[in-house]
Amino acid sequence: MSSNEKLSIGQKKKLDRKLAKLQHVLKKESGATSSPNPTKNLAICNAGLVSGLTEEIIYEHFSQLGNLTDITLLPGKSCSFLSYDSLESSIKAYETFNGKLNIAQDNKAIYLLYVDQIPYLNDQRIWGELPPGLILLEDFISIEEENMLLNLCSFDAQPMKHRLVKHFGYEFRYDINNVDKDKPMSETLPVETNFLWSKLQQKFKPDQLTINHYTPGQGIPHHIDTHSAFEDPIICLSLSSPIIMEFKNNDKHLCFLLPQRSLLIMSEESRYDWTHGIVPRKFDIIPNNSGQGFTCLKRGTRVSFTFRKVLQGSCQCNYKSKCDSYNDIEDNVALELEAMHVHKVYNNIADHFSDTRHKPWPNVLEFVQSFAYGDILIDVGCGNGKYLGINQKIFTIGCDRSMGLIDICRQRQYEGFIGDCLSVPLKNSSADGAISIAVIHHLATEQRRLKALREMVRVLKPGGRALVYVWAHNQINNEKKSSYIMQDRKNRKVTQMDKLVTGQVDVPLQNGNVTLPVHNNRSNFQAKDVLVPWKLKDKNETTFLRFYHVFEENELEQMCQKIDNIQILKSYYDQGNWCVIFGKI
Amino acid sequence: MKLLTHNMLTSKCIRGVNVGYPLVINIIRNMKLFTHNMLTTKCKKGVLVGYPLNIKASDIRISSVDFNPDFISKIIPKIDWPVLYSAAESIGHSENLPKEAPPEDYETNEDFLKIAHKALLEVEVVHGELVCPESGRKFPINNGIPNMLLNEDEI
Repeated sequence: MSSNEKLSIGQKKKLDRKLAKLQHVLKKESGATSSPNPTKNLAICNAGLVSGLTEEIIYEHFSQLGNLTDITLLPGKSCSFLSYDSLESSIKAYETFNGKLNIAQDNKAIYLLYVDQIPYLNDQRIWGELPPGLILLEDFISIEEENMLLNLCSFDAQPMKHRLVKHFGYEFRYDINNVDKDKPMSETLPVETNFLWSKLQQKFKPDQLTINHYTPGQGIPHHIDTHSAFEDPIICLSLSSPIIMEFKNNDKHLCFLLPQRSLLIMSEESRYDWTHGIVPRKFDIIPNNSGQGFTCLKRGTRVSFTFRKVLQGSCQCNYKSKCDSYNDIEDNVALELEAMHVHKVYNNIADHFSDTRHKPWPNVLEFVQSFAYGDILIDVGCGNGKYLGINQKIFTIGCDRSMGLIDICRQRQYEGFIGDCLSVPLKNSSADGAISIAVIHHLATEQRRLKALREMVRVLKPGGRALVYVWAHNQINNEKKSSYIMQDRKNRKVTQMDKLVTGQVDVPLQNGNVTLPVHNNRSNFQAKDVLVPWKLKDKNETTFLRFYHVFEENELEQMCQKIDNIQILKSYYDQGNWCVIFGKI
Repeated sequence: MKLLTHNMLTSKCIRGVNVGYPLVINIIRNMKLFTHNMLTTKCKKGVLVGYPLNIKASDIRISSVDFNPDFISKIIPKIDWPVLYSAAESIGHSENLPKEAPPEDYETNEDFLKIAHKALLEVEVVHGELVCPESGRKFPINNGIPNMLLNEDEI
């Protein structure tokens, strides 16, 4: 039915009956009372946010008949409201659209009632205010410069769900929300963008650029750029068309216009603590500066250049709750986490794990062989006993939490017992040597890792020596990749499980959940506390996740320095591990 | 299994095995008294010394370990001798072992070193319990492996 047709008497009666019924529905739904006489305010009784109605659609139709001064959509309701600046426009809209405009659910007609007052909506959105740490430089580049940059992006971009993207320097991986820091792209940043940084007069040398191409109706979901991925700041140049960008933090919701040719600098709080996003819409409805009425901004194609500098190491920000480098694992959570994601896993994978651990590492071998006739060496966390039988002159005892692994040691005729590295069941000062190879990185708090070191010191005799190996956060040292990364098999199949376990995993625990990133095997670590998959060679390729705390450079040394009665004899990097030899004084 | 039996056994029936003889006798390690000499329960809450642990053995085995006099003579000073003696005695293997301390000439006394060698390295506990002298907490020894793990509330 076209809106300019007159209603027949029968239809008029039907509409009146419908409206009479809807008065009660409206009252119940929104508290608004309908008025028998025309007012400037209209209620759409049967369509709202719940049924998919938007400001944009209301504006599109109702602005044709006059100047709108308000549009109110109530969250969770199936009714909505609008106001005109004149009674005349309101009456016109009432007569034109009532029962005729098909913008309700399933393209059904909407029904309108006059109301005295529009219900008050506590709209959280604040227009035009910038979040702390954010700088917006308008007209940063000239039209000529804009054209030059736009000409750069006639590229074969990858279509994303919501937009076209193209990366330079490093590919941004949307599956892990990070870049592969050890896999720079051959295509570096176009030199044509260099002028921006002399113009900015700031020391900023980005090594990653993402170009996004948004057509009207496209947007980007709210997000914080992964802390550990990029340094502060993140810089975004808007080309070709303006757009409304939104920032959210807790219940604060800021919206502002990013003009064409403006430069947005997201720094500090705005970079680390606030999410930002663009609502997918074809129009942006913005309140006028006067606070009266709306302006509708029709979107055009927008191209954005986002410049970022890849962060080496982990994030050191103060916004811990949003930071993937920081995990505040509490003691009682640590216990459960280790029980489930270390002890249980090693018991499950003991045989397969043992099959993959044959070759002793040369530097560990050398250390074990440096002991003399009749010396006693304790291997705390001995695993399958790889280092237990290699020096026949000494008495070596293995200690491991995993019954499965100790049983393998026993079958290999090595002496051992089941014990915990945090409470080693040995006398004080009873051993000449101790080794802890790839063990304490499985402990979830620094306090616990330190306690394990102290236990080793306790069982050592004065003059005794210990060697500790832990996994390094940085798997590439002096531009040399560790063998862990080198082992990446070229034809490694990406299985369903691989896909399933990338990203963040919520570890449900009795004492509160922990969210940890799952490490992508054979790559550099993206976070300090991670879950590392172990895949069994069984039919189902059962995957277990082991907890690891990977160490920063000097972290192990600094821990050792907290222990009074030891002296660091040697500290080195060996194939992706940080290693310390210390002596007990 | 007697060695006469072993002298006849082969695994030649396995597909791909040609001779399968002689079979290697894989002697599985069990807890030695040397290890016992170092174990404590001092990490358990409320326990001060936790040493020495009492042994309640239900299955003991004497294994054969190559005798190395240099090794043993270096080891002797590191042993808590009375603890070794009472441990050996408690499981009925204190034969000829001095009660209080090793002889003064232990480094050259090969007879003694052999006796010490046997007590330290050849007498093994396969099944049994280690018992904390202070708290009475029992730690099982199964298949030669002492399980010294404590529960969280014991630490």
